[in-house]
Amino acid sequence: METNAMKQDKIVLDHGSGGKISHNMMTDMILPLFNNPTLSKLDDGAALTIAGKRLAFSTDSYVVDPIFFPGGNIGDLAVNGTINDISMCGANPLYISVGLILEEGFETEKLQKILETMAGAAKKAGVQIVTGDTKVVPKGKADKIFINTSGIGLIYNGVELSGSFARPGDQIIVSGTIADHGITVLSAREGLRFDSDIQTDSAALNTMVKSIVESECDVHVLRDPTRGGVGTTLNEIASQSNVGIRIREADLPLRGAVKGTCELLGFDPLYIANEGKLLAFVSKNDAEQLLEVIRANEYGKDARIIGEVVESDPGKVFLETAIGGSRRVDMLAGEQLPRIC
Amino acid sequence: MSLKYVDEFRDSNLAKGLIKRIRAMSHKPLRLMEVCGTHTMSIFRHGIRTVLPENISLLTGPGCPVCVTAQKDIDAFIELAGRDDVILATFGDLMKVPGSHSSLSLEKAQGADVRIVYSAFDAIGLATQNPQKEVVFCAVGFETTIPTIAASILACQEQGVTNFSVYSANKLTPPALAALMQTDGVQVDGFILPGHVSVITGTDAYRPVFETYLTPSVIAGFEPVDILSAIERLVVQNENQSPALENGYTRAVSEQGNIKAQQVMHQVFEPCTATWRGIGDIPDSGMGLRPEYHGFDAARRFGIEMPDVPEPKGCACGEILMGLKTPESCALYKKKCTPMTPVGPCMVSSEGACAAFYKYSV
Ligand code: SF4
Repeated sequence: METNAMKQDKIVLDHGSGGKISHNMMTDMILPLFNNPTLSKLDDGAALTIAGKRLAFSTDSYVVDPIFFPGGNIGDLAVNGTINDISMCGANPLYISVGLILEEGFETEKLQKILETMAGAAKKAGVQIVTGDTKVVPKGKADKIFINTSGIGLIYNGVELSGSFARPGDQIIVSGTIADHGITVLSAREGLRFDSDIQTDSAALNTMVKSIVESECDVHVLRDPTRGGVGTTLNEIASQSNVGIRIREADLPLRGAVKGTCELLGFDPLYIANEGKLLAFVSKNDAEQLLEVIRANEYGKDARIIGEVVESDPGKVFLETAIGGSRRVDMLAGEQLPRIC
Repeated sequence: MSLKYVDEFRDSNLAKGLIKRIRAMSHKPLRLMEVCGTHTMSIFRHGIRTVLPENISLLTGPGCPVCVTAQKDIDAFIELAGRDDVILATFGDLMKVPGSHSSLSLEKAQGADVRIVYSAFDAIGLATQNPQKEVVFCAVGFETTIPTIAASILACQEQGVTNFSVYSANKLTPPALAALMQTDGVQVDGFILPGHVSVITGTDAYRPVFETYLTPSVIAGFEPVDILSAIERLVVQNENQSPALENGYTRAVSEQGNIKAQQVMHQVFEPCTATWRGIGDIPDSGMGLRPEYHGFDAARRFGIEMPDVPEPKGCACGEILMGLKTPESCALYKKKCTPMTPVGPCMVSSEGACAAFYKYSV
């Protein structure tokens, strides 16, 4: 039997997982048709030059289930997500658009709450929601509410970042504890009750990026490890930059409750989504300074240096385990969890 | 499982001490087999193979419930999913396992109502929410999950839920170990016995098999320190030629196990012959519904009896889970068979040997 997702005549959930199967759909189906130098970089957003100004442009759709979860809802996720994608291009996000797809019968009270959250998130981050669209589909044709956000921002002067700029010797910083968002959503969805206070890490990282840029540290890559988690994002960077990556298990910041839930469910936190974290690749000499800069931000208190870029094994990511062993961190084929962001 | 144990048993100094002792003590070539999918995952995730001396090889035994499921049972799940009146509730790991002609994931994309659940109780929830539908739970599991499935059936009976049934492909661990030891060519110098299963069965359940074959055996927990200390004990037993059945997971496993869970399990299920992938039929190694509960038996309710079908050509899953082959020695591994194009269940399940080799090796 042929089960290769690309040769299937139907889309399966794994096509949206952010793992290898999504990646293949991107490179085999989408890229050949839409091909242009900007898209083929496969960064979180597009860096464009318009009338002499360098702009970052990005879009993302949110279909999370459940729509409300500890620490947030689909609304702030959608606003912060696009703010972060633009920020990771080394840009200052300014304007975003919002497209709402609502299911007939969805409670207006919940919509009101989501809209208020979106307004609050935009205000806090200092961006404006300047255009939008609303569609309603018959009951059962969508699940409560889907949101698309797009946004633009101005790339900071002299800043050039890309997932393809990682170099051997670069130190890798993660801005805080990993896997909080994915585990929160999973626990909320499955009604798993652990006596814990895990909540989503959804946050706008534009101020953190601003201070990173202002620090003038020699940063090569910024990425937010959302869907697919830190493991998937590092794999993307390793292959975009054609370098090897080594990270250390003992240095990965992980909340106790998140770690415990992962243990119980057999999940690897490296593949679980984050919505308010970034990975920074910085040249060795500037690593400690950048760590301090990130830690000074309200969302960066738990930042750690988790590993480095090496020349060997290009395209591959390895983890040094806490007991001194080593193992590959490969890109997953499909999902560890169903849709969560 | 209590969470506070996790850190203590992942203590890296403790682990490094164990590794040193194993290296100093172990001289004979040893083939040690783990028979639990969670051990397989833990061994790979913590890089345990990479810290052991070369004379010790770790084999992945029949411990991954999806991997040991016979092709005809997978076909039965797909057949059930194809019925318009059925919502099929399954563990996620079964979704992509290729049956003879399709997989649950493909059936779902083509409109079948297949839902991923975390336990049989989630499936009861689906049954009460969808009274006009029949909810069928795909039961693939060992002693760890069978009591929960039994409890779910008792709960349905009590609450009068009639649109719920179970297709049982459940299996028991000790008969599989015995069948393994009787198979020609199988050479196992020690068993790392499953922690979760043993919480239910207790140490005693393994005694008959141990006394027959005198294979060194240690029940282990799942943290690196648990697994390394089980390996250390197996090395000692082998070097001293003093086979024993030891419990290395005393913080969770007792001699008799969880008697309440065993009672619930035996109230609803009774031993029956089960077909294991690669191994074949093993008497009394399955758990079928007792006659009083036949109303909850999906195979009976829907008249499902699938023919015995050969496993996919070239797939060595069966030999791998007996320790006769390694994934790398399967001709299809990494070529025709990858996690994106799995040929056998061992490449699909996150606990499968081929999937683990593929994911974690260079
Ligand atoms: S590599 Fe694939 S075909 Fe070979 S044994 Fe494993 S699952 Fe079967």
